[in-house]
Amino acid sequence: METTHLPHLPDHPLHICLFEQVQNASFLRRQLLEGNTDFEYAFLDASVLLSKNHVLASCFRSINDLLNNRLKTRNVHSEIVFALSPNSNIAESFRRFGLSDDSKNIVAIKVGGDRAKIEEHLLANVEGKAVELTDEALAGMHDAARIRKIYRLEAPKKGEVNVLSRESEALLLGSMALKGS
Amino acid sequence: MPIAIGLEGSANKLGVGVIQHSVTPPSPHDSAHSDDEVPFTSRRSKSPPVQILSNLRHTFHAPPGAGFLPKDTAAHHRRWAVRLVKQAMKQANVKVEDIDCICFTQGPGMGGPLSSVAIAARMLSQLWDKPLIGVNHCVGHIEMGRAITGADNPVVLYVSGGNTQVIAYSAQRYRIFGEALDIAIGNCLDRFARVLGIPNDPAPGYNIEQLAKTGKVLLELPYAVKGMDVSFSGILARVEEMAAKLGPGWTDPESGAQITKGDLCFTLQETVFAMLVEITERAMAHVGTAQVLIVGGVGCNIRLQDMMGLMASERGGSVFATDERFCIDNGIMIAQAGLMAHQMGFKTKLEESQCTQRFRTDEVLVNWRD
Amino acid sequence: MATETTSQRPLPAPFNNSTDSLTLITQGAEALLYKTTFLTPTTPAALKIRPSKPWRHPTLDKRLTRQRILAEARVLAKCKRDGVSVPAVLALDWENGWTVSEWIEGVTVKEALRKRNLEEGDSAVQSLMQRIGHAVGTLHSIGVIHGDLTSSNMMLRQDPTTHGTLDGDIVLIDFGLATQATQEEDRAVDLYVLERAFGSTHPREEALFGVVLEAYGGVYKGARATLRRLEDVRMRGRKKSMLG
Repeated sequence: METTHLPHLPDHPLHICLFEQVQNASFLRRQLLEGNTDFEYAFLDASVLLSKNHVLASCFRSINDLLNNRLKTRNVHSEIVFALSPNSNIAESFRRFGLSDDSKNIVAIKVGGDRAKIEEHLLANVEGKAVELTDEALAGMHDAARIRKIYRLEAPKKGEVNVLSRESEALLLGSMALKGS
Repeated sequence: MPIAIGLEGSANKLGVGVIQHSVTPPSPHDSAHSDDEVPFTSRRSKSPPVQILSNLRHTFHAPPGAGFLPKDTAAHHRRWAVRLVKQAMKQANVKVEDIDCICFTQGPGMGGPLSSVAIAARMLSQLWDKPLIGVNHCVGHIEMGRAITGADNPVVLYVSGGNTQVIAYSAQRYRIFGEALDIAIGNCLDRFARVLGIPNDPAPGYNIEQLAKTGKVLLELPYAVKGMDVSFSGILARVEEMAAKLGPGWTDPESGAQITKGDLCFTLQETVFAMLVEITERAMAHVGTAQVLIVGGVGCNIRLQDMMGLMASERGGSVFATDERFCIDNGIMIAQAGLMAHQMGFKTKLEESQCTQRFRTDEVLVNWRD
Repeated sequence: MATETTSQRPLPAPFNNSTDSLTLITQGAEALLYKTTFLTPTTPAALKIRPSKPWRHPTLDKRLTRQRILAEARVLAKCKRDGVSVPAVLALDWENGWTVSEWIEGVTVKEALRKRNLEEGDSAVQSLMQRIGHAVGTLHSIGVIHGDLTSSNMMLRQDPTTHGTLDGDIVLIDFGLATQATQEEDRAVDLYVLERAFGSTHPREEALFGVVLEAYGGVYKGARATLRRLEDVRMRGRKKSMLG
């Protein structure tokens, strides 16, 4: 697990962990649906995550909206899932970016709290292999076509490989930043 | 010590004033009287110290709900010109021999009224055998404002019934950085006063300013700034629509109070003045000065002066404005700018003394400044 | 600018509580530009703050700040999507009045031209002019008017190896006055402003401005009509004659 501080948000450390080959996504999802307060995490499906910046940008927006008392969802963790979406449909954003019963690779994020306890809890409850969250790791897990569809990016030209570039990241972050305007 | 008489009549005010430039700074007791008997002397300015010997004005007021028409205004100026000149000379206590030049507004402005006053000026020039100096009305405002306030090199906001310009001096010209692309700010206010049917006396803009003080609700009007230019016709059209809606059926959703004429005046002023302050600030950032001078009839508006003052102080500078004696069209300002040109050897030949309704501020060679 | 004074007003949230470095780069009439970091401590970013204007009615002030932040971000997003090289928008907050965008490593075209090695000859300048014309032509072809095209509002993306040269991709910046317009007049005025800015800022390079227009014509299909309109604009100047 990695603990990081977003610049300009010194009071809101992020605890982030990427899990590979998760076996119990449906269990985790049920905890969220039942409102189990022990599971106050943002769980993201890595198949729609372009890069680490993509994840961090949604964290920044969510914490900033929290600080300004304008969350659109229940708490900062659900807000992180929502913030990834290019539109304001909350249910759809949870479906697209949150856990589904067959999620394989997931990112877990906790804003604030005791690092040791969080790490212990996550490792005990997520049945998967914790690996470092990097752009390379995400590149091997995400579904480029799906991301293009969600963010309405142009399809790759004939004969081009369907990979997402840095320019794509700029478009995603722009859409997220403009959401709700 | 050079003395000039100035005649102004580009719109509905006929103004005649006599000015004297001192070679040495006069003592405060030397100053003579302006039209309301308040002595005024300026010695802070880099332009020569000026003494106002007389400053008379007579205004043609159209009836409420109407604007002043060129024909009636021209007739008004013809009727009053001689009387005003005689009175100005008498009050200044100068003889014809003391006068160095006859200054008159050559433009811009309304053709009829301009011509009436030009005829009076040509007549005086020939009768008294004194040189004639044609003056650009806008330059008159700027030079008078500088002389009165001591603002050395300000960005100038010139706001009146016929003009809306942001001006800065560069290389012997007053250059226009931004302006209204359609109607002038004063025209916009005057026309709205007519829509509300409020009196034209003492000035429609003054009455809007008073009504605005009673307004509380800010309604949404278009905000039309494009770079350093502004436009007002869309705003006027919208606020006119609002005026037609006034009545018991239209209330403020927050307070439940009925929307009033005062709210409309308040809304209009807050919106258009914010636009003016914005383009002025942009020009100040562009030329790197923190001084701003407001001239022209709308420049009397205290709310505009206050807003501009807040902006200037944020930039570490200050706003310079004059009161109604100088910011409303007057003869003194024409005398002031004319005398400065005269001292550089400028003269308007009789055959070149025709008025021009279009006369851009940046056409004048300002060779009396560095 | 000499008389600019920094009015020490607090930064908007969350930057008022920040422990990360914020370096003031420029202070214009509308906005303050800071260099800072975003998302990671090693990612440089540009923070543009539009401070509230205390002389404006608060309702109007909020409305304008919101409109302008959004208008600029939307234009930047459109440019990005349609292949014009501009900084990426990373985050914004239209209530608190700030935008964070990608930091462009390099120099402005203005600096590059002023500091250029005169012995290099005209070919490097010609190539630069071509890239400028190409950038502006692409911009106009997607229906965006910049509104303030000057050599200060164009960056050359450079790294240490190209530093001090005229090499690098052109990145258009500062879209604070940009509009999405389709009128010939707007495009012509956009070019005219650039031409005038070059004339006054870079008199030595002005003679090569034709190269900009040529390259512009090479990428923008409607260039012929725009260039014809530019002739008119040149004749009359940007300003119309004013009735007194």
